[in-house]
Amino acid sequence: MSHGGGGHAAELFPETQVLGIGLVLALIGMYIANFLPEYAMLIGGALTVPACVAGANTTRKVAAYGLGTGVPSIGMVSLGMGTISALAAVYLPVALGIDSMATPIIAVIVSLLIGAIVGKLTQNPVGMKVPIIVSSMIKLSLMGALSILGFCTAFAGGFSAKVFIPGAIETGMIGLAFIAAGIAILHPFNACLGPNESHRRTMYLAIACGLLAWLVFAISKLDAISVVISAVLWVATYAMFVKMSLNDASDVLYTPELPKKEE
Amino acid sequence: MDISSIILPLVEITLAGAIINASVHFVPVGGAPAAMATSTGVGTGTTQLAAGAGFTGLLAAAGMAAQPGIIASNPLHALLIMLSGAVGAMIMLGLTMLIGQLIYVYGVGIVPAADKCDIDPITKDPQSAFITPGTTGHGIPTVCFVSGLIGAALGGIGGGMAYVGLLGLGFTIPAIAGVLAVGFFFMNAVLASYNIGGTIEGFHDPKFKKMPNGVIASTVSSLVAALILVGMSMGL
Repeated sequence: MSHGGGGHAAELFPETQVLGIGLVLALIGMYIANFLPEYAMLIGGALTVPACVAGANTTRKVAAYGLGTGVPSIGMVSLGMGTISALAAVYLPVALGIDSMATPIIAVIVSLLIGAIVGKLTQNPVGMKVPIIVSSMIKLSLMGALSILGFCTAFAGGFSAKVFIPGAIETGMIGLAFIAAGIAILHPFNACLGPNESHRRTMYLAIACGLLAWLVFAISKLDAISVVISAVLWVATYAMFVKMSLNDASDVLYTPELPKKEE
Repeated sequence: MDISSIILPLVEITLAGAIINASVHFVPVGGAPAAMATSTGVGTGTTQLAAGAGFTGLLAAAGMAAQPGIIASNPLHALLIMLSGAVGAMIMLGLTMLIGQLIYVYGVGIVPAADKCDIDPITKDPQSAFITPGTTGHGIPTVCFVSGLIGAALGGIGGGMAYVGLLGLGFTIPAIAGVLAVGFFFMNAVLASYNIGGTIEGFHDPKFKKMPNGVIASTVSSLVAALILVGMSMGL
């Protein structure tokens, strides 16, 4: 059961650049959300979208090798490792007695560690035959942690334990972050894979999915400005994606209504 | 916090990861071909099935843990929490397989038949004569159903054990323990699904012999996760 039919389409955007932009913007977003809680959802939420897009880009690259278990599995493992890293980053500063300002940095370090170990394990005893699996697991774990921590920080208005735990965990928002960010990471390539897959089209869907995740969070926080901005941007990117899909298709036929009687 | 209150949850969480990984190998997963009834098993991926059963088991375990009078540190009560998880997961996967089977038999119109064994080890019914040429079995024959139930029970016990371990570490708020257990469950379920590499019919499948690799991988990754969780619990 091989996925990713057409193999690798041309890579239009270099992976390291996309990852770098995602990492830097998500970190900036978290710090802004922490220092300016009134703009947390607007800026923090918006700047978490690039992390989701970077995750989706790495998913596209690794899943094109054919995982054998479907694209969603790697998105789910990314979010599983991300949840543990994000929560570790909230609790560890309290345990180690360091300032809570280190939370995003700890999330990065812990997710890199877990990603490297799980990646090595998928290669050695398990025997995955994907050459880039270790580096991809590291990147996916990092982006999973950043998107969960980013959306939850944007919702709670800060990442210190005493703001984050009642604001994002006890309210159950972290569960929403798990699945909304998960869909933003795993869905774009899962929907676009196959022959004639184009990087540009997949990335448009990734941006649309990231914005949709932001919209969901904005609605749950009842932040009117974020709802309007994310909704407008989401509709615009999704419309672009649909337009590109129709352009790239060889022909578009709409199914007519079935005839009432056989003639 | 003394050392014994760290060692026990550490062992519980590590063991839970190994059990969760083993449990996934029992679940009959058919993937996309099974969704078209051209392969034995339930028509979805390993991760989704394991997650469905695992979450239900986790909720059942958390529900039992929240009952008044249940103390997770009491071994008997911990056993009750794990058994509750096992029953929850078994109901979930049993219903999934039953309804899937109804659709396969009465909707698609196939005869359930296992491809990986000539004679069903449980009912002793011949299987190979009923397989449509060009397919690798169809539906969920008895042996796969029983294997799936065993897998779900193990998954529920594993999820429940991870939950008990997290409670033992001091994550007493159900939301935190639950979310951590979910992340932990997914990590191990996906490692198992990569070990299987697509589809498996159950314990009679030749791929089942690859299970030790997956269990070793999960033991190592769970130990790392458990060490991080112990570090986190210091801040409670």
